[in-house]
Amino acid sequence: MSRFTPPSASENPVRRYDIWLWVILVLLAALYPFTQPTTARLLIAIQMFMLITLASNWNLIGGMTGYVDFGHLTFFGIGAYTVGILMTRSGEVIFAPQLSFWQAWPFSGLTAMLFALTLGAATLRLKGPYFSIAMLATLLAMREIVRLFTPLTGGGGGLDLPPELNRIQEYYIALGLMALSVGLMWWIRNSEFGLSLLAIREDEIGAEMRGINTTLHKTTAFALSAFLTGLVGGFWAWQNTYIDPDVVFFEPRNLEMIMAAVLGGLGTVWGPPLGAAVLYWLREFFWNRFLFAHLLGLGLMLIFVVLFLPGGLVGLLQKGRVTSVLDLWRLQPAHEEET
Amino acid sequence: MRKFTFGLLIVLAVLLVACPSPATPTPEPQAETGGQAEEGMPKEEKVIRIGAAVSETGKYAREGQDTRQGYILWQEWVNNEYGGIKVGDERYKVELIIYDDESNPDTVTRLTEKLITEDKVQFLLGPYSSGLTKAASAISEKYKIIMVEGNGASDSLFERGFKYLFAVLTPASRYTESGLKALADAGAKSVVIAYKDSPFPKSVAQGAEKWAKEYGMEVLAVESYPADIKDATALMTKFKDLNPDVFVGAGHFVDGVLLARNAEEVDFAPKAFMLTVGPSNPEFVEELGKTSNYIIGPTQWERTMTWQGQYFGTPEEYAKRYEERWNEPPTYQAAESTATALALQIAIEMAGSLDSDAVRQALLEMDVMTFYGPIKFDETGKNVAKAMGAIQIQDGNIVVIAPEEAAVADLIYPMVPWNER
Repeated sequence: MSRFTPPSASENPVRRYDIWLWVILVLLAALYPFTQPTTARLLIAIQMFMLITLASNWNLIGGMTGYVDFGHLTFFGIGAYTVGILMTRSGEVIFAPQLSFWQAWPFSGLTAMLFALTLGAATLRLKGPYFSIAMLATLLAMREIVRLFTPLTGGGGGLDLPPELNRIQEYYIALGLMALSVGLMWWIRNSEFGLSLLAIREDEIGAEMRGINTTLHKTTAFALSAFLTGLVGGFWAWQNTYIDPDVVFFEPRNLEMIMAAVLGGLGTVWGPPLGAAVLYWLREFFWNRFLFAHLLGLGLMLIFVVLFLPGGLVGLLQKGRVTSVLDLWRLQPAHEEET
Repeated sequence: MRKFTFGLLIVLAVLLVACPSPATPTPEPQAETGGQAEEGMPKEEKVIRIGAAVSETGKYAREGQDTRQGYILWQEWVNNEYGGIKVGDERYKVELIIYDDESNPDTVTRLTEKLITEDKVQFLLGPYSSGLTKAASAISEKYKIIMVEGNGASDSLFERGFKYLFAVLTPASRYTESGLKALADAGAKSVVIAYKDSPFPKSVAQGAEKWAKEYGMEVLAVESYPADIKDATALMTKFKDLNPDVFVGAGHFVDGVLLARNAEEVDFAPKAFMLTVGPSNPEFVEELGKTSNYIIGPTQWERTMTWQGQYFGTPEEYAKRYEERWNEPPTYQAAESTATALALQIAIEMAGSLDSDAVRQALLEMDVMTFYGPIKFDETGKNVAKAMGAIQIQDGNIVVIAPEEAAVADLIYPMVPWNER
């Protein structure tokens, strides 16, 4: 498994340009509302931006750090419920400060981050598939907790948010969040912090021995990823005007966020956005043409990608530089045996 | 190589942003008609566009199919037999646009936006389930497009102050009303309630508590159980110790079956056993056999009810028409979907206009009798005229026992204990 060569900013002058291409792309996207699109088209773009943001954030912990998180939707849910509880006008819950969206939104990221710090202290000690399964269990547990904690969350009855629906405003929020998230991933990938994360992914014990504080790095990556995912969740709750455990902890969303990152290329900056865009487009394709088989189609695609396209779309174009889910799961125990 | 990757990424991303919906190339000939297209194009073509996002796949696929079939039955009737909706002196054909929302909360909002802003529908019919109706109705409300729905029964739908949302079905809180009244009249004195923790059953349970007290019964316990309950014997044992006259279980089909089985297992035999959703479905009887006997259930609608409507005749006549078209008997979800569309049609004809506010006014003033029962909306958009019916399974047959004007048989009370059947 020696194909890993750490990239660095000086070795790859092209990397200096790629962020400018991203900036241009974002600016172009910012002009889109001026072409008078229908709000339906804006909403499609908003949903795609959210998926890109989620995939990109997931990639930070799942791809760059190598901790394949099967329960990342937990943080989305915490963000959604934070905004829901802070904004709802319902008289049935015990705590409803009735804040505006802009007052409530920052808290969605903060609560998700706090939860990640607490949870990470325990789960980040696990490796490989054990971490994945622990996070999946966390997700399922969280959904039940939300269901049972009726006085605060409205339980199965859910919470209504004031329907403010302004798609143009939502478009720019989603775009801004996406631009920020992906830009941040670019910066991380090119920073010492990012290189340390990659070192942890490839050989955690080796990294530790070279003086990298692995716990600090892992936890920071996990918390940052949770913070941004929480923000997406909070935003989602606001634009959907209604949350309950079933619509917030909606399994296909969890799957899509992972799938997008895997399809695009784990650990790369541009893989997850590309994967998310392609996946969203494919979903529409299946939705339109194979009405009854579209989930089946997506499932088969996931299997196909993991088995035959382990490096994702970016890996297809950059041979031998991109890791895969199977790699990540096999690597860790193998290394433990070696030491 | 990397440059190539980037080229590809950029090209793809630009393409995707510029035309985010390449797979749904809807023609947009009316882009310039402006606003909601209430005047202009449709008048020349004499077509009313009505849209709906209904689940064809996902977890509501089954109920979604009933909903869709109910809508289409109405559309075919109004276009082919009735001759189109009367607006003033003119007749309008109905163009019904139905999409699959995949039971997905994101898809239902996207499709609702699409129906309103791209397909330029003038009216909307509701999706299936309270959760999806909540997300969709917030959008129709914003565009002041009327949404009439028949498949979101949660009361909280009508506590958001929406002006353009109307529902023909009896809301969840009144599900147990006529059943509990019949039981109180028969001498029942105490009640225990169990409900599944999701919006609709919760509303049902809160209602049951209220009605029980109103009819002078004592509520001994109210318990919730998780949505994916696998075993309810502990719950049933607990209720057995309380020894109530009436058990009310608010949930859906699968957990209803489970509650009945577990009650029999621990021999919890109150004088009346009431379950929501399950008992009115013939499959419930097949599933449980003689255990299902004497179980009482609320029903929105049964084909044996004795309403007489102006358009589809009696429930039985409606059911025959439905069977002819779809080769299966109508569920109440199908009937309420047809009634939903029918209510919209009647309101448009009363208003003599396609204007949202005029039709809204007509809906508020409406007081009609249909094959589905009486329809009269209150200020919040709920149908207040129609009481829920109650059925009891007697010798494997589903018979209506309440309300009196629709009943075909008498309530059997108390029920025969499980072990003496």
